[in-house]
Amino acid sequence: MFLLSFARVIKFSFQDIGRNIWLSIVTMSILILALFSVNMLLTVNVISQAAIGAVKEKIDVNIYIKPDTEESKIMALKAQISGLSQVKDVQYISKAQALESFKEKHQNNPEVMESLKEIGKNPLTPSLVIKPKDVDQYQELIVNLNSIEDDIIESRNFDDHKLMIDKINGITDRVSEAGMVISFTFIIITLLLVYNSIRVAIYTHRREIKIMRLVGASNWFIRAPYLFSSIIYTVVGVSAIVVIYYFFLNLLQPYIETFFIDYDINLAAHFRDNFINIFGLQFLVGIVVNMGASLIAVSKYSKV
Amino acid sequence: MIKFINVTKIYPPDIKALNQVNLHIKPGEFVSIVGQSGSGKTTLVKSLIGEEKVDKGKIIVGGWDITNIGQREVPFLRRQIGVIFQDFKLLDKKTLFENVAFALQVCGQTPKKIKAIVPQVLKIVGLEGKARRYPKEVSGGEQQRAVIARALVHRPKILLADEPTGNLDSINAEEIIELLKKINKFGTTIVLVTHNREIVNRLRKRVITIENGVIVSDQAVGKYML
Repeated sequence: MFLLSFARVIKFSFQDIGRNIWLSIVTMSILILALFSVNMLLTVNVISQAAIGAVKEKIDVNIYIKPDTEESKIMALKAQISGLSQVKDVQYISKAQALESFKEKHQNNPEVMESLKEIGKNPLTPSLVIKPKDVDQYQELIVNLNSIEDDIIESRNFDDHKLMIDKINGITDRVSEAGMVISFTFIIITLLLVYNSIRVAIYTHRREIKIMRLVGASNWFIRAPYLFSSIIYTVVGVSAIVVIYYFFLNLLQPYIETFFIDYDINLAAHFRDNFINIFGLQFLVGIVVNMGASLIAVSKYSKV
Repeated sequence: MIKFINVTKIYPPDIKALNQVNLHIKPGEFVSIVGQSGSGKTTLVKSLIGEEKVDKGKIIVGGWDITNIGQREVPFLRRQIGVIFQDFKLLDKKTLFENVAFALQVCGQTPKKIKAIVPQVLKIVGLEGKARRYPKEVSGGEQQRAVIARALVHRPKILLADEPTGNLDSINAEEIIELLKKINKFGTTIVLVTHNREIVNRLRKRVITIENGVIVSDQAVGKYML
């Protein structure tokens, strides 16, 4: 008997949606927009994390050594720098290696190559490339490197990478804040729309509800179709966003790959690997929000 | 079957719709309740089906004290009391069969039982040939018959008819009353709320007259007195 009643609840629920099809479509569309903005927020987060990772990877500090310095002195300096707690790795680039790398980098620039030929000798200096352990200790590292007094040091290149990271973090935070405001706005709109859809559905069916009450239908049976409608809205909304968002990610992927050349960022794979966490959570939140709105509407308006 | 014991219903600020009403309707009786508009008839009907709570007194239906009936129990009460109103309250997009079946569907009845019960009640009310028609395709009298059929599907012990002939011409009204008499003969208690003098006088059944929320007359074989 329960199964039979449940089947009828589902049937009446689909009838409610069908009879107010345009309102149902608008409700589901807003729900899809809300979910889209939430997923955009997640995507921005993934991209910004990748960007920060990429910048961190590129951060290093260069100490240039006087050209004719004995290798043993350079190795001694390397050992001294390696001993600093903020240092992850120190790499020694000899004059020859520097020239090799320079040639490779400018092989398609004939003017540079011609100039190099005209000089006739290797004009580059050996260097030590220092990678910091933690970006947050970058300033400390600079202070320590500046305090090293050694005659063999010709110059030091301490670009302010920390500023760049702070900027990326700042932009990411602002985008996340804006995304959260947009998502929250959409969630509120969804809540109001679902509430209104159920209210209109009840108004459309007020005669039917009156008859149901008259002939002894239980409160559960009268209210359940409207609550079930909100579940249908959520199921359709989340299913649609899965399809739409994967399509969108596939469109976005080539641009991301171009931007993050040499870095492996696959947004679709990220969403696929975290499918249950991402879309499962959205489904749960959607159900709670929509059923909450329906419950309020039903308990307020179904007493016809 | 129905007992009202010192029942009082007051609408704010101080309108006494029912004032110390005492009433006892026995099983199988056919009772007409008459009174002018605003006399308290509708309040009496509403309190009998659990739609209104009374302020004082006790209401007992079939041994069940429904005075303070809970929302969850109301559907079970409604299945014991068939209700017919002046406005037919049929669903236009459903056939007469579907309208009657709807009452069983919403109470969880199986399709097999629905198919067995609905033709039986349609036959009782004389609509066996019009089951597939929509409400707009039949007369007002036939629509009211369909409503009676819907009220009968739960095999109620009481049939409460609130102005069932109000929207009908005299011929159709007479047919509906004859149908109610027929149902009464099967043993169902009929409570007919009306202000149709001719019908009440021709019935020659018990008549209870209400005025300003008070029962002013209760005659075993009565006449419309107002």
